[in-house]
Amino acid sequence: MYLYLPVALTSIAIFLPIGLGLIVGLLSGLFGVGGGFLLTPLLIMFGIPPTVAAATDSNQIVAASTSGTYAHWKVGNVDFKMGLYLLLGGFLGGLIGVQAIKILKAMGNADFVIKVTYVLMLGIVGIYMFIESLSNMRKKKVGEVEIEKESRIGAFLKSLPFQTRFEKSGVTHSILVPIFLGCLVGILAAIMGVGGGFLMVPIMFYVLRMPMHVIVGTSLFQILFTCIEVTFLQSYTNHTVDFTLAVLLLIGSTIGAQVGTVFGRKLKGEQLKILLAVIVLAVTVKIVFELTLEPSLLLSLKGGH
Amino acid sequence: MRYQKPITNISIIFSMILFLLALFPGESATQLTAKANHDHIKIDFFYHGSTVGVSGISDPGVDLVIKLTSAEGHQSLQKKGKVAGLLWMNVSELELEHVPSVYFLHSTKNIEDILSRDEMDKYVIGYQALERHVEITPVANEEEKTKWFSEFIKFKESSNLYSVSTGKISVREKDGGQDYFILTNWPHQAPPGKYLVTVIAIKDKKVVETATADVLVEQAGVVKSLADMAKNRGALYGIISIAAALGAGFSVGMIFRKSGGAH
Repeated sequence: MYLYLPVALTSIAIFLPIGLGLIVGLLSGLFGVGGGFLLTPLLIMFGIPPTVAAATDSNQIVAASTSGTYAHWKVGNVDFKMGLYLLLGGFLGGLIGVQAIKILKAMGNADFVIKVTYVLMLGIVGIYMFIESLSNMRKKKVGEVEIEKESRIGAFLKSLPFQTRFEKSGVTHSILVPIFLGCLVGILAAIMGVGGGFLMVPIMFYVLRMPMHVIVGTSLFQILFTCIEVTFLQSYTNHTVDFTLAVLLLIGSTIGAQVGTVFGRKLKGEQLKILLAVIVLAVTVKIVFELTLEPSLLLSLKGGH
Repeated sequence: MRYQKPITNISIIFSMILFLLALFPGESATQLTAKANHDHIKIDFFYHGSTVGVSGISDPGVDLVIKLTSAEGHQSLQKKGKVAGLLWMNVSELELEHVPSVYFLHSTKNIEDILSRDEMDKYVIGYQALERHVEITPVANEEEKTKWFSEFIKFKESSNLYSVSTGKISVREKDGGQDYFILTNWPHQAPPGKYLVTVIAIKDKKVVETATADVLVEQAGVVKSLADMAKNRGALYGIISIAAALGAGFSVGMIFRKSGGAH
């Protein structure tokens, strides 16, 4: 059974977006990522114009992250205070990132710089998370007690002004830290054209030292607001949100987010991290293949990631 | 007897005209007609493409070309190329002028065998003629133009918006004329708009007659309302989209909570 998409100007088999939404929702609920890195290219592959795919993806992430945030909030896994500071930084970063793209484009070879940075960043984050989680799991198996050493970065963070306690996460930081980190991810997300969940989750873990389960809920809370803003701006300025497609996607993603949350609670923090690392590395490999193998078509519509 | 002579003369002249007409069938004995049997395609929620049949009458013995095209316009696409001799990525944009977004061509025989190059160019029949007709920028030379035009055709054919076929038009001689008919698939990827069907009769490598018909493809009902709203009332459309997503997210959350899913 097919449904026609009034903005994408094409029709699609109903089970396709529902199934894709389910997979992406599952990832959201499990890891606190939006899933745009996966969904947008798949939608383009199934004939959705790139600009519509990216904008509609944001719309469905609103639903998936609402569903996921709600599920995590109910079990006490959302740090609203931390989320709001990160969000503030994210908005600022988005504004800076848009300007940075203009500068990169004016310098030429912007796509090259962006793609290479993206691959390197995902690769480094993925490998680091994978090795670190694996070694932690091994240590715990043999009963070693992990003694956390305070790094130089940790000492620097503690020396900053406006220190405040984030009760839900059980950490104390200067409010400048989440604002700055949110801003950094916002800049990179705007430049790379992705939501930034993949970068935010490791940063929350390694820099902010938040517990993994709270990270997932808080990341979803932050993604929710970012995607509300993006959906509105895309609808208002570019007219590229396809409501019909978004509804089909969110049928799957809202359910997937709930299932992901249930699964996530059954997994340990280290297991979640290693799974996320595997997915990050898989995405990295996929992008490397895309970059190095000659595409079957040398022309494409404009827009997309 | 005297007054019978003019009648004899008239019949001789008439017979001669008929004889000459038989000898030289001239430009056309049967007027070429074209009719699209599904000329108003409505796009509703369950639309997944359609079919368009084109039929009509032509002179016997002529070859036919049936062209279904959209209006010509401008298209801008992203070009992929190798950067630093290693990585494939979007490198620049390709601009095309005087190019239709949809181009379907059917002919009774190979176009190159039945038409002269001048006639192909004049009526923009076939990919080669279309290449000569279209302006492509930026290209350094003709070789590069041919390369990117062939990439453009690959891109369009992969989207089901361009195709060329031979031998799919069925032709049957009838009452001293020739009936023709073709049933083509209308792809769901073809955007709403007005399309032109041009039937071209060919004899001795020259176009002897043309006939046209229109096909209108338009959105209807809820599909049209949603498309209009997205285009003309973007802010309201955005707010509704966000509200629906928030509502769906909360509703599913509540359902799962009640059914014990999240606990």
